[in-house]
Amino acid sequence: MIAPTDIPDRTNLQETFVLNLGPQHPAAHGVLRIKMTMDGEYVTRAEPIPGYIHRMHEKMGENRTWAQFLPNTGRVDYLSALHYNHAFVGVVERAARIEVPPRAEFIRVITSELNRISSHLVWWSAYLVDLGGFTPLLYAFDDREKILDLLEAVTGSRLTYCYFRFGGLCNDIDDVFITGTRAFVTQMRPRLKMYRDLVTDNIILRKRLEGIGPISAELCRKYGATGPVLRGAGIAYDVRKVEPYSVYSQFDFQIPVFPEGDAMARYRVRMAEMEQSLRIIEQALDKLPAGPVMGKVPRVLKLPAGDYCYAVEAARGRHMVRVVSDNKEIPYRVKLRTPSFSNLSLYQEASKGMILPDALALLGSLDLVIPDIDR
Amino acid sequence: METPVDTSQIVQFATLNDLLALSRANSLWPLTFGLACCAIEMMAAGGPRFDISRFGAEVFRPSPRQADLMIVAGTINKKMAPAVKTLYDQMLEPKWVIAMGNCAISGGPFVFPGQYAVVEGVDKLFPVDVYIPGCPPRPEALIEGILTLEQKLTGKRRWPVVKPPQ
Amino acid sequence: MIPTLEQLAERFSRLVATTAVLPQSPLPVTIGSTPAVAVAPPVAAGADHTIAPTAPPPPVQTVDYSLKGYHLDASISPRQVVLAAEILDQNGFALDTITGVDWIAQNEMEVVYDFFHPLSILRVVVRTRLRRDQPELPTISPVFPGANWHERETHDFFGIRFSGHPDLTPLLLPEDADYHPLRKDFTA
Repeated sequence: MIAPTDIPDRTNLQETFVLNLGPQHPAAHGVLRIKMTMDGEYVTRAEPIPGYIHRMHEKMGENRTWAQFLPNTGRVDYLSALHYNHAFVGVVERAARIEVPPRAEFIRVITSELNRISSHLVWWSAYLVDLGGFTPLLYAFDDREKILDLLEAVTGSRLTYCYFRFGGLCNDIDDVFITGTRAFVTQMRPRLKMYRDLVTDNIILRKRLEGIGPISAELCRKYGATGPVLRGAGIAYDVRKVEPYSVYSQFDFQIPVFPEGDAMARYRVRMAEMEQSLRIIEQALDKLPAGPVMGKVPRVLKLPAGDYCYAVEAARGRHMVRVVSDNKEIPYRVKLRTPSFSNLSLYQEASKGMILPDALALLGSLDLVIPDIDR
Repeated sequence: METPVDTSQIVQFATLNDLLALSRANSLWPLTFGLACCAIEMMAAGGPRFDISRFGAEVFRPSPRQADLMIVAGTINKKMAPAVKTLYDQMLEPKWVIAMGNCAISGGPFVFPGQYAVVEGVDKLFPVDVYIPGCPPRPEALIEGILTLEQKLTGKRRWPVVKPPQ
Repeated sequence: MIPTLEQLAERFSRLVATTAVLPQSPLPVTIGSTPAVAVAPPVAAGADHTIAPTAPPPPVQTVDYSLKGYHLDASISPRQVVLAAEILDQNGFALDTITGVDWIAQNEMEVVYDFFHPLSILRVVVRTRLRRDQPELPTISPVFPGANWHERETHDFFGIRFSGHPDLTPLLLPEDADYHPLRKDFTA
């Protein structure tokens, strides 16, 4: 029999070991490696090491014409590809002073908001798989397939869209899309209520997420974190309201903000955003004007020399494109400011001293897409 | 180290071989190895609409020791290549590899003159059994790829290839 | 407290006036009662921007947001980046991104800092130019910790050294990478 004095007292030992989370890991949401220095189950230092899916988008920007770069934008963040399309066509239209017809702007908003909902559904289901609940993935992917059916008929792709063009869209929508989208909005609202009742109000989820991973508004500002991370910290920053672009100023929607700053707040922000996106889609369908979907674009597109920026609210946060042009058909420099990069950069500071499952709950609540970080 | 003896040259099991091939083909356990965009289509193939669990392949294993099928879904980076090779080496025989998507087949849209970061195809690292083109390929294409792999194992298809109407 | 564009332009003009602005180019500096609002001389249509422009733009200028996407454009010397970052930090700005641009024909490298404000539409761009053969400037990570990763990425792609940076190792490239891919003279 072991006497209590035989068991060594380890409370004062500072032995740490290094645990690699990734690059292949079911909870890493892609190829992200986090080098965790652990003291038992507690994380003393979590250093994210990206770069395992670096696909040279910015270098390709210097090797492609303005139009040839468009397919790249869909692959930077494949879950909300239309927002990234929007940023790039927006910066070129801004610089070259290309007019976009109103019908195209409204369709851009409708498809972008559908994309936002499908992106949040993937986040939600993957996050719950991390936390241990597998079933919501099946429900969320079913809803997502309905969105993908609508978007596939119009854009031609299921995932990495390249639908926007300089001056408008490549394809107009038809009545099948409009009735299908209205039907989707009608059936999605009760589904969101079901998710709220079964998952968001679930005591297990609340205990896993409430109070976990506090990120203050000041920390967000210092690291440039945006999107639901910043809105879950109490700051109502949404590019659609603060730096309005396209026709978002014509719609009546709210920015969900929760002040607690923990993982539950970020979770609630995203769930509420899905409902607000449904509102925007309905309003846009009601106000959809008739007309062409493509404006006048010069045959050979060259932007005047100088640098230009355009920012959009992607599903993950603020996405800004900065292009430097030297009046040629090929950009001189394309810089993509992606939200996941800034959101992940605060992980090292925010995860100090957390127990490992909580550190993973924090990682999931940041909603990262790794090619968005590595570009 | 002496060369291992190939038992198939000494002992043949006839019908038992067929039975083993059939059971392996109908219970392929994929490794969760989604790298990029194709991973989402792989997840959708595991979702309720496309449902690869009908074919026995729903049980995605995070550990390579427990998986026998590596679906390489996404771009292989030069920084990631040693990790991919390690995972392949850690899988136990018999193992198969499906290269899903253009990036895994040949580097995909990221091959341009002067490219410095992408490995042009996963078959530069280890042998591939089935190639599924697409960017990203539809979940139905992934299922067709799994059925092709089953045909490679057993010699028979579950149902004939559907010919498009003339 | 959200600053106004004029207040920021005035603070940057004062910053620019304290020391020499750009290497090898004396520029007119407007301070005091003269507003720091000026419009850059238009580049002639079809001009090759790789040749150095004859009339350098004023160091601090308000630009047309509907064309450029930002409001204030400040060109400062590399030694002043930390002071500029402190001005923006005190005014509540957040760091958007740090971009490197390789102007190989002018034998210079440019580092562009984008800032956004979480409570207002204001967008500020601070830019500085460095010698191409020895690009070095101080880090702003003590002021904005988020700059840590942005500077590592800029160093990866261009080889620009940020002195004082705690850990200038490759971020997106492999750990043993010794090449800088976004330089214009890079060959794989």
